[in-house]
Amino acid sequence: MTSDVLLEVDTVVAGFGVTTVLHGLSFTVRRGEVAGIFGLNGAGKSVTMKVLAGIVPVRSGHVRYDGADITSMPAEERVARGMAHVPQGRQVFAALTVEQNLRLGAYPLRRRDKSRYASVLDGVLDRFPILAERRKQIAGTMSGGQQASLAVARALMAEPNLMLVDEPSAGLSPTVVQELFHTLKSVAATGVTMVLVEQNVAFGLQLVDTANILQVGQIVHAGPVADLDQASLATYLGVGRLLGGGTSAALAGRRAPVKKTRVTSAKTNAAAKAAPVRKAAAKAAPVRTAAAKAAPVRTAAAKAAPVRKAPVPGDDRG
Amino acid sequence: MTTSWLGRLPRSARVGLLAAILAVVPPILTRLVPDLFAGLEANVVGTGTYLAAAALALNMLMGYAGQISLGHFALLGVGAFTTGILTSPTRLALPFILAVPAAALVGAAVALVIGLPALRLRGLYLAIATIGFSYAMEQSIFRIKGLTGGSGGIDVPRPIAGSFTFLKTADYLAIMLVLLVGLWALDVNLTRSRLGRAFQAIRADEAVASSFGIDVARYKLLAFVLSGAVAGVAGAMYGGLVGTVSASSFGYQFSLLLVVLVVVGGLGSRVGVVVAAYVFAVMPRLFVGVFGEGIRGWDLIIGAALLMVAVRNHPGGVAEALRERKDKRAAKRRKASGDPDDSQVAPSLPQMPRPPSRAVDTPLAAGVPVLRVSGMTVRFGGLLAVNEADLVVPRGQIVGLIGPNGAGKTTMFNAISGLVRPTEGRIELLGRDVTGDAGHRRAASGMGRTFQNIGLAKDLSVTENLLLAQHSVADYSGWEALTALRRAPRVERELRERAREAVAALGFERYADTPVRQLSHGQQRIVELGAVLVTAPELVMLDEPSAGMSPGAAENLAVRLRDIRDQLGRTVLLIEHNIPLVLDVCDSLTVLSAGRVIASGGVDEVARQAEVVSAYLGEAVPA
Amino acid sequence: MSFFESLTSGQNLVLGLVYGGIYGLLAVGIVLVYRGSRVLNFAQGEVGTVGLFVAYFLITEKGLPWWVGALGAVGTAVAIGLLFERFIVRPMVSATRLAVAVATVGLLLFLLAVEFRFAGESPRSVRGPIAGDGTSIAGVVVSPTQMLSLAVTLGVGFGLSVLLRRTDFGLGVLAAADDPTAVRLVGVRLSRVSAFTWGAGAAVSALAVLLIEPTIGVFTPGFASELFVKGLAAALVGGLTSLTGAFAGGLIVGLVEIQVGSLTLTSGVPGVPTLAIFALILGVLLLRPSGLFGRGVAAA
Repeated sequence: MTSDVLLEVDTVVAGFGVTTVLHGLSFTVRRGEVAGIFGLNGAGKSVTMKVLAGIVPVRSGHVRYDGADITSMPAEERVARGMAHVPQGRQVFAALTVEQNLRLGAYPLRRRDKSRYASVLDGVLDRFPILAERRKQIAGTMSGGQQASLAVARALMAEPNLMLVDEPSAGLSPTVVQELFHTLKSVAATGVTMVLVEQNVAFGLQLVDTANILQVGQIVHAGPVADLDQASLATYLGVGRLLGGGTSAALAGRRAPVKKTRVTSAKTNAAAKAAPVRKAAAKAAPVRTAAAKAAPVRTAAAKAAPVRKAPVPGDDRG
Repeated sequence: MTTSWLGRLPRSARVGLLAAILAVVPPILTRLVPDLFAGLEANVVGTGTYLAAAALALNMLMGYAGQISLGHFALLGVGAFTTGILTSPTRLALPFILAVPAAALVGAAVALVIGLPALRLRGLYLAIATIGFSYAMEQSIFRIKGLTGGSGGIDVPRPIAGSFTFLKTADYLAIMLVLLVGLWALDVNLTRSRLGRAFQAIRADEAVASSFGIDVARYKLLAFVLSGAVAGVAGAMYGGLVGTVSASSFGYQFSLLLVVLVVVGGLGSRVGVVVAAYVFAVMPRLFVGVFGEGIRGWDLIIGAALLMVAVRNHPGGVAEALRERKDKRAAKRRKASGDPDDSQVAPSLPQMPRPPSRAVDTPLAAGVPVLRVSGMTVRFGGLLAVNEADLVVPRGQIVGLIGPNGAGKTTMFNAISGLVRPTEGRIELLGRDVTGDAGHRRAASGMGRTFQNIGLAKDLSVTENLLLAQHSVADYSGWEALTALRRAPRVERELRERAREAVAALGFERYADTPVRQLSHGQQRIVELGAVLVTAPELVMLDEPSAGMSPGAAENLAVRLRDIRDQLGRTVLLIEHNIPLVLDVCDSLTVLSAGRVIASGGVDEVARQAEVVSAYLGEAVPA
Repeated sequence: MSFFESLTSGQNLVLGLVYGGIYGLLAVGIVLVYRGSRVLNFAQGEVGTVGLFVAYFLITEKGLPWWVGALGAVGTAVAIGLLFERFIVRPMVSATRLAVAVATVGLLLFLLAVEFRFAGESPRSVRGPIAGDGTSIAGVVVSPTQMLSLAVTLGVGFGLSVLLRRTDFGLGVLAAADDPTAVRLVGVRLSRVSAFTWGAGAAVSALAVLLIEPTIGVFTPGFASELFVKGLAAALVGGLTSLTGAFAGGLIVGLVEIQVGSLTLTSGVPGVPTLAIFALILGVLLLRPSGLFGRGVAAA
């Protein structure tokens, strides 16, 4: 068991109601790393975060944290073990003051060791002077950017091993996003392990070490940020064809790093077949049929599955 | 198989026969076996009967239309007092037969008065308002001496027919049972009509109901009025049974009890709530009968404890528990015979039927698009969700509305369909300015749409949803619906035939009577598509149609979208995140980013624009 | 009294505050449970009444001191609240709130049935904590019990919120109503929050009913149903979100009730105070659904 892996997600299938959103999600996060999860809307970003948090149950697959299998561990326990959250939309406790928010954030810390609370609080307030000024202010009356800082500060109060940050830039104006960027950068610099989910890919890429790109509930690419350029990024997100004809050709010869997907269910059996097919699709000169889109792995898998209806007319579409 | 003579009778005759039989039993019983069926038993059955009527009334409002009322016993009181005022020898001394419709009318009127503020309230707040109403009625209005005889109350004499007085409770019971059968028949007619379906749609999701052309406010009021009328009749029944009505009989606690009956019986289940009412009425007698007089006092304790446990274990009520078991068995049977692959989307879509009233599309002058949006701005408080956006959907095209998350696509969609009011801008549908029209009117004018969380009434079956979707072409009135007379049955038959054809076009014959919530997400999407198409709307708006679909289904969706355009001749506007699908299927694109249109035009030209790609990739922070 | 006389009457003021404090406490209980489980507890008043019966048994029949009876009352109520939460509410976590509300009606019926079976319906009374009739202070007659009632209700009503803010768990309780998920994400167990709100709500009800009984005079099973509706109105006026708002709402309802009730103008019409309260309810719902003090959203 590699001890530098803090978080491992292993072929997770999850969703809500009758819908399955994650179709065999797998990725790892190493200690001290800032890992990003990017994808278009509907790709499964928020469900991924909720699975990590313990709010959405896992249908199959495993989640391992710091050596332990936490797949069915409730959210409160994960928090007690060192996971902290900056939820989507901040979700500060609007009726309470800044200080009360921070105190609640320190709930797991105070249960472990109350004596550290004062020094941790001082440290956090040093890092966030804006919050120090507004200690007694009701959180709900603060601006979006200030609430964002509060949400991050609240998470830090627990002295976490792993911080899960869910779409921090969502709903914030560009200037505020800029401030938030510096905040997150400095938090990352302290060495805490972070998983950052973002819709704003360019913003996120500036913060993370590793990029995991999500499409239709699976990671289609995982690797260092440096390895990505605009074309491949667009392709992995699923908007490659917006770049105009020949995108797939541009990928020809490029080897996408293969993610070992351990197959557990029949649905993901097709995905196993698709792993080598993905490379083939990348290499093959694109025929304008549905199957060879630079699109999710599972479209290629659908080629393996039978029954294609009327052949798609060979229109040229970009 | 020979049909018995019973089956060949028209429905109204069968109902009348049932009523006659039920009515005759108690008077005969009481004369044949006076010891067995004495006054007490008749009283108990009588209590069950008026409670059953009251439960039917509340079920109409809560179970069908989804509007909560914790004050229904007060409406009963209104009916009872009306009956008293009309029939009491010290008042108007009119015959009982006039009192029943009067009680219905007054009950309906009072319910309308409650219904008006109820339009603006939901759930808990509506509950509190109705408790307040109930409490105020019991403490104040029902105690006004001149009106209701103060705390002494009013006497309600038993009805008289010629020289015969219905003095024996068992005889009066006959009248009550006839009334109950009548109310039951009314309820049946209601649920088999567009009225009942409209109520259920409102309960499921008001936005969805509106998208099928249902004027939600109007139908909510109608639900209150009908429910009030039935409650009034229940009150008349009650008055005649107990003989004296006074304010203290109508405390809000009784309204709470009524809610318990309806919820435990099963919201939306006629049979469930009537059975619950009778069980409640009969239970104490039963306990005493089985366990002897010593059980008195304990029977209520045990009953209440059982109630708590029953609600805990079956929050949906008894009817729901039974339904669930039936559904599970049906699902198992379906699984055994194999589920069709949901990638087989709507195989015979071109066979989708078309109502005669929509046979011909609205003629449009050259160059007039099916939809034109000009300068739309939508502001929510300080947030500008849509900023001076223009959109044109020419007839016979598939237009895609794309853009990153938070760009305002859904808001724009909702503003076009009428769920959201734009701060500025103009919307023209088929050349006509519809900016001021409510959503349900736009729907009835030919705008159909789907929803991200599936725009169907999930508790209804596939067929019922397809009937619901035809609400705007079901032209018969409410009265005709309730009485099942004249046009209504004929129109219903046509609707059913059309629904059957639609189910066949979707390839869903085996699911025709399955509740939609039991279908997989992809299957629900297919039914939703069918529901939108069954009235051949001129503009079909699809909200992320491929969301949650397997890649196989998404591929077939592309084919079906082209069918909708080419074979059915519809015009389509869709929001999508699946870019390859969009590029495959759309004729033109409009790209939104941060509320603004950043590109629009033919697919090829739009796709290559740098702004479009960077919209999806996000903006970096300046170093 | 005329309108002006009614407004300036010290007696009306004191009586309004005494009743208002009681309604306020009931409202606090209602809001606590609502915030904890998103449901209206229709047995809120009756739980207190059961406590009252226990107090009657201990004080009047067994002759024990008042505070023992009070402890018994509150203890019994808390036990009922905790048991109900543990065995009925918590298993119903994914049921509709309407179903849970029906379960509370079941509790109401259960408690009524127990009272009828073991105590019967004859009216009883429990003496107040401090003996003696009312003393006259500046022309206003007020009994020692009423003074104590004022002190306790004001203390608890305004103090509970303060007390909660002082502890970590209490902060969690306050935050959980607005955002249960975010509270889970800082590690607070919602099951404990739920248990607390039901137990504390029951305790507060028992206190309220116990303190008002000497003023009302006699009690029977179900007599608290009127108190409950007024507590509900108070909670609504307060916005259903804040505890202090609920208590303040109670004071308002109490004052309105007493003022309106003492007007000669409307003494011909029965139940005018009730109509006034109903008008208040309707007014708040339609004009300011978030209540006079709350920040909540109109749709429930």
